[in-house]
Amino acid sequence: MLTVKDLKVAVEDKTILNGINLEVKPGEVHAIMGPNGSGKSTFANVIAGREDYEVESGSVLYKGEDLLEMEVDERALAGIFMAFQYPVEIPGVSTSNFLKSIVNANREARGLEAMNAMQMLKYIREKIELVGMDEKFLRRSLNEGFSGGEKKRSEMLQMALLEPSLAILDETDSGLDIDALRIVSEAVNKLRTQDRSFIIVTHYQRLLNYIEPDFVHVLYKGRIVKSGDKSLALELEDKGYDWIKEEVDAVAV
Amino acid sequence: MSTTVAQDRYAAEKQKFQELFDQTEAANQQSAHPLDEYRQRAMTLAGTLDFPTRRWEEYKYTSVNRILQPDYAIGQAQGMDAADIQAYLPEGMDAHLIVFVNGQLSDSLSQFAELPAGMHVMLLRDAMDSDRFGSIAREHMDRILKDQDDIFVALNAAFSQHSLFLYSEKNVACEKPVYILHLSTNAETPILNSHMNIAVAETGSEFAYIEGQFEKPGATGTYFNNIYNRVTIGANAHIHHYCLQQEGAEGFVINRVDAEQDRDSQFSNYTVDLGGRIVRNNLNTVHKGSNLTTNYYGVYFGKEQQHIDNHTFIDHAVPHCQSNELYKGIVTDSARGVFNGKVMVRKDAQKTNAFQQSSSLVLSNKAEMDSKPQLEIFADDVKCSHGATIGQLDESSVFYLRSRGLNDHQARAMLQHAFIAEVLEYFKHEQVRDFAEMLINQKFEQ
Ligand SMILES: Nc1ncnc2c1ncn2[C@@H]1O[C@H](COP(=O)(O)OP(=O)(O)OP(=O)(O)O)[C@@H](O)[C@H]1O
Ligand SMILES: [Mg+2]
Repeated sequence: MLTVKDLKVAVEDKTILNGINLEVKPGEVHAIMGPNGSGKSTFANVIAGREDYEVESGSVLYKGEDLLEMEVDERALAGIFMAFQYPVEIPGVSTSNFLKSIVNANREARGLEAMNAMQMLKYIREKIELVGMDEKFLRRSLNEGFSGGEKKRSEMLQMALLEPSLAILDETDSGLDIDALRIVSEAVNKLRTQDRSFIIVTHYQRLLNYIEPDFVHVLYKGRIVKSGDKSLALELEDKGYDWIKEEVDAVAV
Repeated sequence: MSTTVAQDRYAAEKQKFQELFDQTEAANQQSAHPLDEYRQRAMTLAGTLDFPTRRWEEYKYTSVNRILQPDYAIGQAQGMDAADIQAYLPEGMDAHLIVFVNGQLSDSLSQFAELPAGMHVMLLRDAMDSDRFGSIAREHMDRILKDQDDIFVALNAAFSQHSLFLYSEKNVACEKPVYILHLSTNAETPILNSHMNIAVAETGSEFAYIEGQFEKPGATGTYFNNIYNRVTIGANAHIHHYCLQQEGAEGFVINRVDAEQDRDSQFSNYTVDLGGRIVRNNLNTVHKGSNLTTNYYGVYFGKEQQHIDNHTFIDHAVPHCQSNELYKGIVTDSARGVFNGKVMVRKDAQKTNAFQQSSSLVLSNKAEMDSKPQLEIFADDVKCSHGATIGQLDESSVFYLRSRGLNDHQARAMLQHAFIAEVLEYFKHEQVRDFAEMLINQKFEQ
């Protein structure tokens, strides 16, 4: 699905990702953890296609294609979905019109017929229920004035509607109360299939009680410094990051 | 205001209007009518006034030079049937239709009958002849010409042959709007279309009228629409005035509205301006009584070589009045936009509540926008706010939409549309709002 090799990325001449290697196979769930500022969002954004970053070296293959050569919308239509840590508010764009447009754009890319208004309504209702959102959000402007939790659910709703091959969740759990967290996790679990992969960026082991990852990686100073299974997340919860930092910094000296 | 040089600047152009007027009069077969006397007076008045130059503060960004160069003629009547005008009418809207093609009234497409009791729409000519409206009509014409210093208004009054008189009687609410359509089609010469509306709402009455100014697709002619509206809103009355403009590549427009409001009344102007070669809108309202409300909602969208200039003025002269003004526009390619919003709060106008916001998006390097809020406040107990922003599309929003699979063009169109849609929300008549939205979307897709 996704093969990242020795990826180095800079912003304004400052190297932020310093040689990332990662292999994600179909159906796998990878959790990426790490202290603040370690480069988790940067990594997620580079995969999604944000252009503010300069790729210095390395390669990213997605389904065998050179991902770094693809435009952000091409990536989306090829099945990559990014749930943003801070989704932007877009006044004036009605949520329902937006959802209709993106569903049909993605259907068209997959050679499917556009949905008519009735089909669309039914489809959106079905997914809205899945993520536990209120239908009244459809009438509001996209993300405008949504609470943190509502924004995250709106991201999950979009994910559910677009049925991506690879979903990247950047701190979708941050700031959610337990109920919301449970709903979001259930939504992710329902979308888990043999072919669909997830990269879940999180600070909290808590989420991983609900979504069981196949792998856990620790990102620190722009590199994956430790990988393991879900027990690594529990260890981090217990001991924090200091022991890993010490290990890494000791080697560096 | 004008120097000797400025006076001479457009002497030749003025002469051409005089000649055109003389020709029209010579060809006029109809017997003399009181209106013709006014038209003569107006032409004489025009002869004493000057065309604005860019030295005039109010015309700093808009030169009328291009407008005055063509050799205009008066349009000829053209056959047109109902199917031809369908595209210019809001879908599903039941309106009283008055149609002008190249400035000529289309009798077959216009309906002067079947108005609800208490609502009157007629030619100003006929209003002057009638016992009932004769003196009101004359009074308005007198006031338009008295101390008039705008040469375009004088020319309008001189050339407008089919001026309309719209009148709602006391306490009459007319549900069906009046739709005045100006359609430009190909003609052999550049066409001068001068049209005047005198709209009067008596105490407690309400009506809406829509002016649509369009060029037929495929037409390429040069024309000049010189439009004038005099709007009088009586106590506790409400007039909704819509102005929808989508002019051709060589279409010029000078549009002026002078509104006067009595106490407790409302005047709402809704302007959708999709441009022409040069469009200048002058929208003025004077307050004559307290506790009234003035609403200005405007949208403009300029592409290619278009020049769109909106000059608005609200004269708060009495206490306890409110004004709301929201203008939003987009300019791209080499288009140029001008917004000048003057709000005067006179010394006596205490407790005035005046809100003004003008926002624009400038989407290309060659596009230009000049925005000038102009608040002149002489009263001390008032609430006035104004804001003017000129910006670009928010790139993080573009990225967000693209990250969901919309292409760059779709993402930008969606955001531009959203930017403008905020103003359309205020449009009272849903069908006009939908129609305006459709026109704007068409322009996005071009
Ligand atoms: N656009 C940018 N311009 C400048 N610096 C940036 C930019 N984006 C990220 N950085 C810097 O890169 C580093 C990594 O940031 P990133 O947001 O990827 O970290 P993170 O691991 O997601 O942190 P957090 O846990 O706080 O979300 C930080 O030092 C940050 O300040
Ligand atoms: Mg982050």
